Amino acid sequence: MEIALAGNPNVGKSMLFSQLTGVGVIASNYPGTTVEYSEAKAKFMGLTLTVVDLPGTYSLAGNSDEERVATRLLTERRSDSVIAVLDATRLERNLVFLFELIEAGYSVVAALNMYDLLRKSKLEVDVPKLERILMMPVIPTVATKGEGVDSLLYTSVQIRRKSGFAVRYDSHIEGMIKELERVIHSDEGDPPVRSVAIRLLMGEQSVIDRASDEAKQLSGRFRDEFRRTHGEDIVVHIQRDRFGEAGRIAGEVLGRAATYRTRKSIAKDITLRPATGIPILFGVLALMFVILVFFGGLLEGALVHFYEHTGGIFFHDLGIRAGNHLASGILDGISLSIEAMLALVIPYILVFYVMLSILEDTGYLVRVVSLLDGVMHRLGLHGRAVIPMVVGFGCNVPAILSTRTMGSRRERLILATLITIAVPCSAQTAIIIGAVGKFAGAWWALLIYVILMGMLVVLGLVLHRAIKFEPTGMCIEIPDMRWPSARQSAIKTYIRLKEFLTIAFPLLLAGSIIIETLLAYGVLQSLLRPAAPFMISVLGLPSIAAVALVFGVLRKEMALQMLMVLSGTGNLALVLSNHQMFVFALVMAIFMPCIAAFAVMVKEFGLKSTAGVAAASMALAIAMGAFANLLLKLS
Amino acid sequence: MDPEIIEQYLKIIYKLTEGGGQAKTSDIAAELDVAPASVTEMLHKLSAKGYVRHEPYRGVVLKSKGKKIATKVTRKHRLLERFLTDFVGVKGPTTHQQACKMEHALTDEAEQSLCRMMQHPDKCPDGREIPKCERGISCDKCTSCDVPLSEMREGETAVVSHLISRDNDELCSMLSMGFVPGSEIRIEKRIPMGGPIIIDLKGTKVALSRTRGDVLHVIRAG
Repeated sequence: MEIALAGNPNVGKSMLFSQLTGVGVIASNYPGTTVEYSEAKAKFMGLTLTVVDLPGTYSLAGNSDEERVATRLLTERRSDSVIAVLDATRLERNLVFLFELIEAGYSVVAALNMYDLLRKSKLEVDVPKLERILMMPVIPTVATKGEGVDSLLYTSVQIRRKSGFAVRYDSHIEGMIKELERVIHSDEGDPPVRSVAIRLLMGEQSVIDRASDEAKQLSGRFRDEFRRTHGEDIVVHIQRDRFGEAGRIAGEVLGRAATYRTRKSIAKDITLRPATGIPILFGVLALMFVILVFFGGLLEGALVHFYEHTGGIFFHDLGIRAGNHLASGILDGISLSIEAMLALVIPYILVFYVMLSILEDTGYLVRVVSLLDGVMHRLGLHGRAVIPMVVGFGCNVPAILSTRTMGSRRERLILATLITIAVPCSAQTAIIIGAVGKFAGAWWALLIYVILMGMLVVLGLVLHRAIKFEPTGMCIEIPDMRWPSARQSAIKTYIRLKEFLTIAFPLLLAGSIIIETLLAYGVLQSLLRPAAPFMISVLGLPSIAAVALVFGVLRKEMALQMLMVLSGTGNLALVLSNHQMFVFALVMAIFMPCIAAFAVMVKEFGLKSTAGVAAASMALAIAMGAFANLLLKLS
Repeated sequence: MDPEIIEQYLKIIYKLTEGGGQAKTSDIAAELDVAPASVTEMLHKLSAKGYVRHEPYRGVVLKSKGKKIATKVTRKHRLLERFLTDFVGVKGPTTHQQACKMEHALTDEAEQSLCRMMQHPDKCPDGREIPKCERGISCDKCTSCDVPLSEMREGETAVVSHLISRDNDELCSMLSMGFVPGSEIRIEKRIPMGGPIIIDLKGTKVALSRTRGDVLHVIRAG
């Protein structure tokens, strides 16, 4: 049997999900969206239960991607029972969500979660009374401590019936519902006619699409009529009636103190005040950076060691067995590429994603988004754009994918362009730190970051002017700060890493095989020979850097290795001066990250836009490189 | 072109097409007391600017750009006629002539106040309908004390009066978070640098960007 978990965001739904299920969580994105949901199996009383954790939403009306996915999962999976996870401290708003579930005809059991917080503020819900009013089981739970979880599972397995509770709307709306019910053809009462009628009145597109012409016309006429006579949209009145009913019930079961109020005022929150929030943000970023370099380095060592003893030997043997000089050359190259990806990409991305999910889970990231929203608006972006940008420091591929949450295509394209050009991914960071930071000094490396930051601002302003549009405004809940849960961070990291491994990794591998083949046949070298004078005169780089640069377009993570191989030494300071190193890293950082980022952009925005962005990034990289070279020569 | 003349023409066309159909050049000329030739010339100009669609020998209809202006001017005109007749006591054809001059000077704010003061009349003295205002709220909610949320200061409390949005998704998502008429809110913090407004909605903190702050209209408490 299958149980679905539904509820508002920040109600401890995922925590309850971890308590209900054991190991073996399958987390996936709903097809065609970036909305995540997870499912897992649980053993209970000799039964094997499938538990689906729906995305957290405030409503099932289908006005956002999350809402659409939650609604579609509920209708597609036809779960036997739905557990509505309610935040007991915000009973009113959570009851409204519960009303929607009941209205839609699901067999619902309510979990009154965060009950300990309610007790702490000396409040008590009259649970039997709430059960009588709603005509359904209600179980107080504390997901963080596992309280009430067994009883919740027991109840949802045992009791599977629909509640007879219904919200009464004002007489005008009820009259319209009655008339609509008459023209709706219902197949076996699923979903209930009343629910279809209400959703038609609310103008829900997915329901309208499925309705008969008669119902479509009638509901359209009703909506117009309501607007004319009441001067307000019917959805406003429907929601107002729901909240009115919820408030009344909450008042009845909670006694006099109808609404729980947190005494903590957000006005004192230091992460939201620019004077303290911005230094904290820089501190957090610096800490992330240190952790990235340290733990990433540890992991890198371990993985390289592991690979040398397994894959490395395998490819080496294969090369010897092939006997052919050319084949063994290619195989060696492939082996080296896999090693480079294992060593340079995975450790840093993994560590980065773990940190990112922790930041998300604590509620810090939402505060950063709020703090920077105003500034981001000036760059033509939504405050939420901070998240894809931060993701971009790991790998640009998931960053480009996560721009999907950004509203309009233009907004997404601006953001993706900024990310590919001005946000260095972990491979680009490896070049900046590994070459410039190591050999030329930390200040040179820092300078590159400052330049990139400046480019981000300038490009944002220019693009905002060129592509005229206003970013959509945000409206997000700011949850209280809390400790992250290891399990949830692990799930999030897993989803992101999977995206990288399944989309970016194969493309990188394919690209490297092509390059190794070209190198082994000597095609690449001869193709690049004419570019050497250009490199020397404009960028002031030695001709071997040209090969490494072109290499970098396809695979950033290998550019540094290539440079070392070509120059025949691991100590780059012998072949490149500090200035040359700086120019090389700068050009690399601005260049489009890699073939995988290019492919993902083509998939998301089409070839034309992507080619434009790629060309712009290359032109910009060379121009900036040439300019830097000129300036450094003069000084 | 003088905006007053444009408004005048659009208002006449509005009046002539109110019951459906098209406005004839000769009728417009008669209403304005000018030669049909100059009306034709003017209609060409209006048509070029996209206010009206003009078909020679058949007549003219308002396009949505022109209709918006025409509705507003007509509304002001008829409200003023009502005012002059009922409150000032002006009688006879001068009511219309005076209203014709005043309508261009009346601001939107004054128009709203006038409508409220006269308790939202729906007909002008000649029995023609006064077009509804564009606020998208019911007349009983139309009070002078409601302000957009973006005008509230830190620490102030208020009650949501109504929501104005053309975007259904935006409207629904804000409603489902609990911003329904009647809910109490408190401005916790306004983040500087053009940042969002942080609102306490029954214990929940919500960050709302300033542009969205105009969707929500509230009445200050206390």
